[in-house]
Amino acid sequence: MSTPTLARAPRAGTTPTAPVTRPARRLRPGRVALYAVLGLLTVVYVAPLLWAVSSSLKDRSDIFAFPPSLIPDPATVDNYANLLATQPFWRWMLMSTVVAAVSTVATVFLCSLAGFGFAKYEFRGKRVLFDVMFSSLAIPFAVIVVPLFVLVAKLGLANPFFALVVPWVAPAFGIFMMRQYTEQSVPDEILDAARIDGCSELRTFLSVVMPLLRPAVGALAVWSFLNSYNTLLWPLVIIAEPEYYTLPLGLQALFGAEGRQYDLVMAGSVLAAVPALIVFFVLRKQLVSGLTAGAVKG
Amino acid sequence: MSTLTRPSTATATRGAARAPRPGVRRQWAPYLFISPFFLLFTVFMVVPVGAGVYLSLTDWAGLGSPEYVGLANYSRLLRDASFGAALANTAFYTVFAMVVVLPLALLIALALDARGLRLRDFFRLTYFMPVVLSPIVIALIFGLIFDGEYGLLNATLEALFGVGGVSWLTDPWWARVVVVVLVLWRWTGYLTIFFLAGLQNIPRELHEAAELDGAGVVRRFFAVTVPQLRPVTAFIAVTMLVSTAQIFEEPFLLTQGGPGEATLSVSMFVYRAGFQRQELGYAAAAGVVMFVIVFVLGRLGTRAFGVGRNR
Repeated sequence: MSTPTLARAPRAGTTPTAPVTRPARRLRPGRVALYAVLGLLTVVYVAPLLWAVSSSLKDRSDIFAFPPSLIPDPATVDNYANLLATQPFWRWMLMSTVVAAVSTVATVFLCSLAGFGFAKYEFRGKRVLFDVMFSSLAIPFAVIVVPLFVLVAKLGLANPFFALVVPWVAPAFGIFMMRQYTEQSVPDEILDAARIDGCSELRTFLSVVMPLLRPAVGALAVWSFLNSYNTLLWPLVIIAEPEYYTLPLGLQALFGAEGRQYDLVMAGSVLAAVPALIVFFVLRKQLVSGLTAGAVKG
Repeated sequence: MSTLTRPSTATATRGAARAPRPGVRRQWAPYLFISPFFLLFTVFMVVPVGAGVYLSLTDWAGLGSPEYVGLANYSRLLRDASFGAALANTAFYTVFAMVVVLPLALLIALALDARGLRLRDFFRLTYFMPVVLSPIVIALIFGLIFDGEYGLLNATLEALFGVGGVSWLTDPWWARVVVVVLVLWRWTGYLTIFFLAGLQNIPRELHEAAELDGAGVVRRFFAVTVPQLRPVTAFIAVTMLVSTAQIFEEPFLLTQGGPGEATLSVSMFVYRAGFQRQELGYAAAAGVVMFVIVFVLGRLGTRAFGVGRNR
């Protein structure tokens, strides 16, 4: 800190309070422009979703009608009815949801555990191991998809529940996130106290550390659920039997089979988006703050 | 203070039953805690990468045993115009993400960081929303909008300006633009929340000090904001690099890599070679090339910015 000159010193005392006391009632042109831009962006983000919902409620022949109208006329739920009648849609959704839920539970546990290990212990090789873990973030999936497919198929592990869950339950991003959060929010004194009370290390983690990690756990859970729920490439490669199709896979197959017609897939897309959006809206605060907590500190 | 008397008794009884010293338990505990990651990492990443390198040296259709062919797959890749196109397209998507999406996300974050902004959370969440949707759902929705004949966009252009009929998905350049628009739509809001968190994390005193020293808005941005955002920028840049380098769903679904191979990505190339044409060795070779490129760039990025370390 450089010493302020005499002339500046008094100003420094007043500046912090000035913006707080000044009411921003009068709308300046800059503000208007700011809100206009942000509002326009909101339209850009919301309009495609509204259009999807609107299209899903239109008759097949009206989807591409000219001029386009946002309000379906006549509005019909035929697309939804047809989709549910002709396609095992609920099965796809059940498959996706179960796989995502199981993955999420395992991911949260394993990432928190590893994050705790990296955050609160000193051990030989820690730096190297952390670097290895972190650099695995830079391994693109396209690289391992072929050999992984061969491996899983040859070892007879192509059972969808195994193949869709197990390889992905310890993502480096999750461990990194949990390490950052653990470092910031779990004080060493608490760990020492637990150890003094005779808790084993695992016990300490489960009963002392985990509760403190709640916000980050929420974020990681949403992140993990959505990742699993939305993924396409790996299921596309590994799932051969239609009865094990996940939602993205089912929609993809339907779009191909229907000659790229939009009536059924739009209804399916809207229904598929609902659980993702619900999870997002319920846990939005945790997701946003938890995701960013780690990255900001770097 | 009552706990002061307990350590000796607690460690004595437990120590006798289990480990000789509490320190010993504490030594293997971290290894145990991080071991699940390293187990899965070894089985499902290291081994496949190794197997991929081996497969890339073979000719194999998935049946029988792979036949060793040396570097033939790689020399074929060098001559394969499709692979060149896939690399070029992927590079285009990635560079676009770095040069357009990233700065745009920062601009939006700066706008959202404006003092006394109303509805900040609403805007932030709205922009963030696309990333929770499945890429396949996004691709389907935009297929509806960019449809060359009757899509919403053409219809709107027609109604507003009297010009329409742009072949968004069947013209090579427009198709690339559409893929990039999807990347923009999906990722910008996601990156914005990281930048915004970074901005909110900058101590206000830094700005005030700079202001007192007579620095203007632009000067403050480059002298205070940019350096302070370095860790978060690095994290975002590496995330974006790896994500866009493996872009798959958007071109796969929207354009099927077409028209021709105008939107083909490397991931699609690998998928097509491996699972549609049963050339597993060739697909593995393409994967290895991509691995080298992305990994080197990713490592350079993390090294340059020092991501993941607390300094």
